[in-house]
Amino acid sequence: MSAADTANDVPLPARKKRFNRNEVLAALIFVLPFVVVYAVLFIYPTLQMIWLSFHKAPLIGPGEFIGLDNYFKLFKDRLFGVAFWNTVYFVVLTVVPATLTALLIAIGVNRLKGWMQSLILACFFIPYILPVSVVFRVWGWMFDSQFGILQPLIALVAGDNVPVFRTLPLFMPTVAFITVWWTIGFNILLFIAGLRNISPEIYEAAALDGTSKWRQFTRITWPLIWPVTVLVLTIQLIAQFKIFDQVYLFGNGGRSDATMGLVQLIYRSAFQKNNGGYGATVAVVLFLIIVVFSVLQFQMLRARGEK
Amino acid sequence: MKSFLKMALLSTALLVPSVAQAQEVVTWWDFLGGGDGVRMKALIEKFNAENAGKIEIQATTLEWGTPFYTKVQTSAAIGEGPDVMTYHLSRLPLGVSSGALSEITPDEIAAAGLSGSDYAESNWKAAQVDGKQYAIPFDIHSIILYYNKDMLKAAGLLGDDGLPKGLDGVDNFKAALQKLKDGGAEYGVSIHSAAGDSQWRIFYSLLGQQDGQFLDADGNFLSGDNLDKAVKATTVVADWVKDGLAPAATEYPASIALFTGGKAAMHINGVWEVPTMTDLKAKGELFDWGAIALPTFFDHPATWADSHAFAIPNRVGNEVSAEKRAAVMQVIAWMNKNSLAWADAGHIPAYAPVRNSEEFKTKQPNATYSILADTAVFDPSSVLAGVASPVYDAAGNYLMPAVNGEIDPQSAMEQMRDDLQGQVE
Repeated sequence: MSAADTANDVPLPARKKRFNRNEVLAALIFVLPFVVVYAVLFIYPTLQMIWLSFHKAPLIGPGEFIGLDNYFKLFKDRLFGVAFWNTVYFVVLTVVPATLTALLIAIGVNRLKGWMQSLILACFFIPYILPVSVVFRVWGWMFDSQFGILQPLIALVAGDNVPVFRTLPLFMPTVAFITVWWTIGFNILLFIAGLRNISPEIYEAAALDGTSKWRQFTRITWPLIWPVTVLVLTIQLIAQFKIFDQVYLFGNGGRSDATMGLVQLIYRSAFQKNNGGYGATVAVVLFLIIVVFSVLQFQMLRARGEK
Repeated sequence: MKSFLKMALLSTALLVPSVAQAQEVVTWWDFLGGGDGVRMKALIEKFNAENAGKIEIQATTLEWGTPFYTKVQTSAAIGEGPDVMTYHLSRLPLGVSSGALSEITPDEIAAAGLSGSDYAESNWKAAQVDGKQYAIPFDIHSIILYYNKDMLKAAGLLGDDGLPKGLDGVDNFKAALQKLKDGGAEYGVSIHSAAGDSQWRIFYSLLGQQDGQFLDADGNFLSGDNLDKAVKATTVVADWVKDGLAPAATEYPASIALFTGGKAAMHINGVWEVPTMTDLKAKGELFDWGAIALPTFFDHPATWADSHAFAIPNRVGNEVSAEKRAAVMQVIAWMNKNSLAWADAGHIPAYAPVRNSEEFKTKQPNATYSILADTAVFDPSSVLAGVASPVYDAAGNYLMPAVNGEIDPQSAMEQMRDDLQGQVE
């Protein structure tokens, strides 16, 4: 049946149709810009990247098809192992601490009232608006092994000045600490939004029943804030798997092979050594790791929350 | 409406050629962010003033090292980027192999009034790959020994001519450092010990003083007894750090501040920090200072050196036009002929007529250390070497920790050799 026939028919069957042609058209027009942008800026480059990973190719320009050789090379590459474990280590050092600390601070800030609350919240949020270069300069100066303002404190504990960014065991924990300091403001904001969504009536009812503060937290606050916690954890996990800027800046000139993460390995392969094919291979593997981890984490945590 | 459009088109059409005829705009990228960058800006302003209405340089300064070269390479590959840029000759093989540079033909060089005979032969050749010219040298720069005259005098290390004495030889130098430390200096010499690049420059000088080859003609890294020489070179600096005569794991700005603040009696750094000292002194914020070529620790004088040069990027699909290239060549020639001003930035002009001029020969402190132009050892010519290359990365990974006592020099050099050899394709 052609479109013209439908139009000539009695209107009743047309109305019964699940989709109205005009509605579909309108919907298409509305989603089209997004779909086009998404396809051009995400889907197409992603497919290109996967295709590139099967080539021995420079960063830009054609290369030679070599099948899965890049992947075999990757699993034999010592640096890939180092970069993978460094990334995992960084994720462990940041994701849960950043989430829990943010929750604690949010609960604290939430108990404050009026301008005091705004002031304290602003204090915690301000680092988040700093660009990474400023964060690098500020902390680089504070930890400077000769003139750093923190060195007298460090010398009290360690007995002497310590070049923290040139001491391998201290490198990742310090950068992780700085990252938590830098990015925690946003997590706090999300938690505060979540906490404000919990109706005060529930707490009133609990108080009438004589519930202790701890029980109020474990039985009311925690379950109700859980969806936000899952969201924060997932955002953190994805962000920290992609760690690059801070580690690159603080490690620059130093033992970069021992401190690099996966994104830095991509950067080094593709941009520094002009080996686009291999860089793409690392990128594909990182992409898969993030997809698997975030889907797994989100599903697991959500399931627990819905219990 | 139609006539309006016509008018608009017409006026644009009229406007474009008139601008082009009047003035050629040359987009310029450099990585000169330090004291030398100030001198370069003055040179560019002078050029623009002298060539007003004909050629105008529009300059942008980018971050030195990996960020600069990454940006140059990616922008050239997609047809973007500048018309002319500064480039390290040590990096040239890597730049040419990745297709980021455009060849400069002999005709273009001649048309600009330049000639290979105006440059030191090794310098001119370093700007070539497979006999083709890819850059025009601008300067030779190296590392030098800065010293605090008051502290050296107090330690009896200053001769009657005002120059340091008794610093040659590994043991003599170390004894001098100890003397300076005993005389109240916190460190005998301050070095930028937190990064591979600065350590590489000292290391490569000490290796050159023993005639050691980092990369031999067969493409092998630290082959044969070169490894022992490399270990020796590393040990020299590691010993200073171990005995507290030089600061451990110190960042670049702090290493300069240790010297300018009077905590270290001497400082090893590039000639590019000469302007920093000159400016501080002019403001009355610095003691009497001097600079000499690096002492001879081993068999004969030798100092690591590199060369800033000018290159034209190979902008794929958007090549620099012929007229623009002619303007660029004029810029390059002008800069070379006026490079005496660039010597204020501490560098040694690559252009021989300037280097041999009376004015340069009396310019201090350049004249004192200009001997290093004759004893220069340039980075190995390889796609793995040069600024922001795998060799620099390896220096950070192995040499730097060896200097700071984290890895033993022997094992550090073996690891460095194996790592780099593994990257040869």
